[in-house]
Amino acid sequence: MATVEEPRTFIRPDGKEKVTGTGRYTADLVLAGELVAKFRYADHTHARITRIDTTKARALPGVLAVVTHEDVPDVLYGGMVQDRRLFAKDTVRFEGDVVAGVAATTAEIAEQAAALIEVDYEPLPVVTDFEAALADDSTLVHPTWESYEGDEALGRHDNTLGYSTIVKGDADAALATADVVVKGRYFTDPVQGVPIEPRAVIAQWQGDKLTVWTSTQVPYAARAGVATTLQIPESNVRVIVPLLGGGFGAKCDFHFEGHVAALAKAARRPVKLVFSRREEFFAVGHRREGMVIEFESGARSDGTLVARKARLVLDKGAYCGEGGFFAQMAAMHALGPYELENVHIESSLVYSNNQPSSSIRAPTAPQVCWALEQHMDELATALGMDPVDLRRKTLIETGSVTATGQVLERIAMKETLEKAVEMIGYGQELPDDEAIGVAVGWWPCFASKSGAYVKLNPDGSGTIITGAQENGTGSVMAMPTYVAAELGMQPEDFSMLYQDTDAAPYDMGSCGSQTTFNSGRAVIAAAVDLRDQLLDAAAEKLEASRDDLELTGGSILVMGSPDKSVTIAELAGEGTFHGKSEDVVPDGPEAPAEGCVGRLGLESFHAPQLIAHAVRVRVDRGTGVARVLEVAAAHDCGKILNKIGADGQVYGGVVMGIGQALSEGTQLDAEGRHRNAHLTDYKLVTASDAPKIDVAWIETDTPGAGPKGSKGVGEPPCVPTAGAVANAIAKVIGARVHKLPMTPERVWEAGA
Amino acid sequence: MSVQTFTTASTVEEAIAAVAAGARPVAGGTDLVVGARTGKSTMPESVVAIHRVAELHGVESLADGGLRLGALASHAEIAASGDVRKRFTALSDASAIVGSHATRAQGTVGGNLMNASPAMETGGPLVVLGATATLRSPSGTRSVAVEDLWTGPGKTSAAADELLVGVEIPAPAAGTGSAYLRLEYRRQMEIAVVGASAAVAVADGVVTEARVAMTALSATIRRIPEAEATLIGSDGGSAAIDAAGAAVAAASTPISDVRGSADYRRAMAAVIAGRAIETALSRAREENA
Ligand SMILES: Cc1cc2nc3c(=O)[nH]c(=O)nc-3n(C[C@H](O)[C@H](O)[C@H](O)COP(=O)(O)OP(=O)(O)OC[C@H]3O[C@@H](n4cnc5c(N)ncnc54)[C@H](O)[C@@H]3O)c2cc1C
Repeated sequence: MATVEEPRTFIRPDGKEKVTGTGRYTADLVLAGELVAKFRYADHTHARITRIDTTKARALPGVLAVVTHEDVPDVLYGGMVQDRRLFAKDTVRFEGDVVAGVAATTAEIAEQAAALIEVDYEPLPVVTDFEAALADDSTLVHPTWESYEGDEALGRHDNTLGYSTIVKGDADAALATADVVVKGRYFTDPVQGVPIEPRAVIAQWQGDKLTVWTSTQVPYAARAGVATTLQIPESNVRVIVPLLGGGFGAKCDFHFEGHVAALAKAARRPVKLVFSRREEFFAVGHRREGMVIEFESGARSDGTLVARKARLVLDKGAYCGEGGFFAQMAAMHALGPYELENVHIESSLVYSNNQPSSSIRAPTAPQVCWALEQHMDELATALGMDPVDLRRKTLIETGSVTATGQVLERIAMKETLEKAVEMIGYGQELPDDEAIGVAVGWWPCFASKSGAYVKLNPDGSGTIITGAQENGTGSVMAMPTYVAAELGMQPEDFSMLYQDTDAAPYDMGSCGSQTTFNSGRAVIAAAVDLRDQLLDAAAEKLEASRDDLELTGGSILVMGSPDKSVTIAELAGEGTFHGKSEDVVPDGPEAPAEGCVGRLGLESFHAPQLIAHAVRVRVDRGTGVARVLEVAAAHDCGKILNKIGADGQVYGGVVMGIGQALSEGTQLDAEGRHRNAHLTDYKLVTASDAPKIDVAWIETDTPGAGPKGSKGVGEPPCVPTAGAVANAIAKVIGARVHKLPMTPERVWEAGA
Repeated sequence: MSVQTFTTASTVEEAIAAVAAGARPVAGGTDLVVGARTGKSTMPESVVAIHRVAELHGVESLADGGLRLGALASHAEIAASGDVRKRFTALSDASAIVGSHATRAQGTVGGNLMNASPAMETGGPLVVLGATATLRSPSGTRSVAVEDLWTGPGKTSAAADELLVGVEIPAPAAGTGSAYLRLEYRRQMEIAVVGASAAVAVADGVVTEARVAMTALSATIRRIPEAEATLIGSDGGSAAIDAAGAAVAAASTPISDVRGSADYRRAMAAVIAGRAIETALSRAREENA
């Protein structure tokens, strides 16, 4: 185990164009003859549609297409359960359901036309209380749920889209024997991804071939979604992603590419959709879910955790999308990185008429971690133990076996805790309105197939052709670094051809902290293939044995004969070199997970990333305003490839975590409509609020890690921040805040 | 509806003529344009840009010890003025925290006042500093106390053909200190949920003058005479401050919305007003020292 001290840095080559304003994002593209798209959204959050009349909209001069469910194939789609149509047919189920789309010559005309569409409804009872939606007599959001295709392991029933348990031993019996038992109930508001670039989509048909430029994190999923919903061959669809202005998960999954393509087809013109900030809030079926979280834990007086019970209810909103795995993911975070003798965790993912939730950076983890880490601190208080000591006693370490039976090897959980408390100066004297809080968390790697090509250009530079995305996560730094290392070249020698589904092999996209893990593996394999070709060519040219050749500094040398060499540029000018990857997806670790239901593969955490955050917080007792002054973030994310890039992920993740802790929350009205769908009242953390953030990397060689021992980096940084902040606030005010975000009013209510 | 007529005035006369002909003046546009874009208000059909009118600019210290602000004085200019910081401190406090750097560079005091939001930053300080607004129309010029400028949220007592040309603040009495404080959830890009302004004069350890105003706690920014009465003649100690804070809370008629409940706002009215008064008092004592 080593701590990274020396920076290994390669600064992102796309940074300059982005910060100087010359970069082109999707909304910046202009196609000759393009039309503007606008949507007519649901007028109720739950209602039966009895009539749609588009006559007046179609008659408006300047309108070239109006599309409803009647104009597209009747297809249900959705990642894990197929429960949604592009355009609502008989029922609308949330505020952002699209009833119709309009393409017109100007935005004003398109908007006017959308308003002219007549839609009659029969309102239905609205299900916004997602915990009440579990009741047997609740209104069903999807009365025909049984007819939907979906992943069998989800355990669907009525409004329950997913149900998952983790069971080990007999938690109730163990609680009865515990020296100390602590209980808690916590609520979290939904949170948004809030990419700075509101999404945009442009679709253009040429005969049967469709090109879609779209701000997506997952172009291959977008391509599949278009093909499925419009019933066209996937090979007829090309998805290109211009520069992406952030996503944070909200641009994962297939969203509006199908709608825009349908409009472009009907209008016979290219059509562009650019979301307003308001739409980016309410209309995107993709936000962090609200939760109700209940914990009950028992410990022996020495701190040993004899049992943990948890009941989690997660708000899925109206549709499934890719987020069907949340019940099990949340259950794993309710377990947390702890050694537990007995466990009973029950987690339900529930349909409602709220905005659909799907993966936002480390889905389910920050909220569950926030609740669990407060619960652990409460347990420490009840035991009369220091909360850090309780964690020292109970955290997982190499050799630990999780409650699902996964054996953990070569992990640095406890080391991250020690590093974080050391960096922040835990235990120091502080003013009485300040305190330090600590929290820990974990997050898995996701193994998925990926492919890549690397070719050399005649001038000796290289091009990496990959499906990897650049969502701010740094693939533009990681991929050239990996390839350059294999070829004895510099990262600057490579450009990337990425974000074009016709050019590169399949890739999962920028999600699940997977790019370095999977796309990295693919580009290294392609570079190795290319290296072989170069060595063959050099061996022939230099009349040397391949085994005597060495690639370094842009040249191939014969070892021991310094005058015999050829530059890679020279070879590239003479021949054709292109490497391709052969992919072997690594197997995940085994976990028997006996007695657990709703198993979707998350019962074991592949090469887990481990995180400890310690934060110093000041609370204004008069107003309840809490300010994070300092954060020490220690991470075991395996080997760090590029410290400047990895540190950047932590800075951003921590700031996002602080937002989740203190100010970011979507407020819904009684019918599930957004009340703060704008940046004035959905309060992001600003640069002026960002605290001092110290980062430490504890490097491990965890089995099953990605290329060169790397694990993921992008998602974990926002996992434990809110929990650490909560624990600090509780220390200052002497009371717990049970609602997230912990707004000034909530802190004040709790007893600041 | 989009803008049909857009002109740019280069003199006050041109600006007044355009306004008299029905055009809405746009100064920095940070309320007018942003509000129309987000659907809060509609874009006027006819607009006259006044930012090039030289006479409407400037922050000027007057010979009699007063201060004159051109309607187009930006928050950044006001916050950067040493004289404002020293003698009209509440206004400096306010301008320094409007929006972000960009908002302060673009937004003007005239736009702030005429937009008439009960949450505006500079209104409370100008009220407690006893400022008057100068309004001009083709039929002449008149002065109105800033505290009488607003008649409701988004409404002013100015006639449709009147242009605000400037604001004058009289010389503060000897030994005056003032302060503006806003409840802030974050450090930039904040909007007042509760704000309070105080201007107090202290002589021989006794409060001789006090003006207290609340922001974002009723339909318009207004003074709270009950709070002022508890301070005048007192020693400005914690009992007087608490009583004044309580008076502000009692006078407030807050709403409940996404920014906070009425209960929280009322409680914060007392806290924030108390702190504003306390700061103003300590500044006044520094003046006396
Ligand atoms: C991101 C952001 C953050 C903000 N934060 C704050 C904040 O923290 N605090 C705060 O108080 N405000 C804030 N504002 C609001 C706004 O910036 C201020 O009110 C600013 O002072 C308005 O000035 P302006 O010159 O831009 O006004 P404009 O938008 O040009 O005008 C506003 C109104 O006043 C009228 N008007 C302008 N000048 C005159 C004149 N000379 N005579 C008659 N009528 C006139 C206009 O017709 C219009 O109705 C914020 C705005 C934004 C966009």
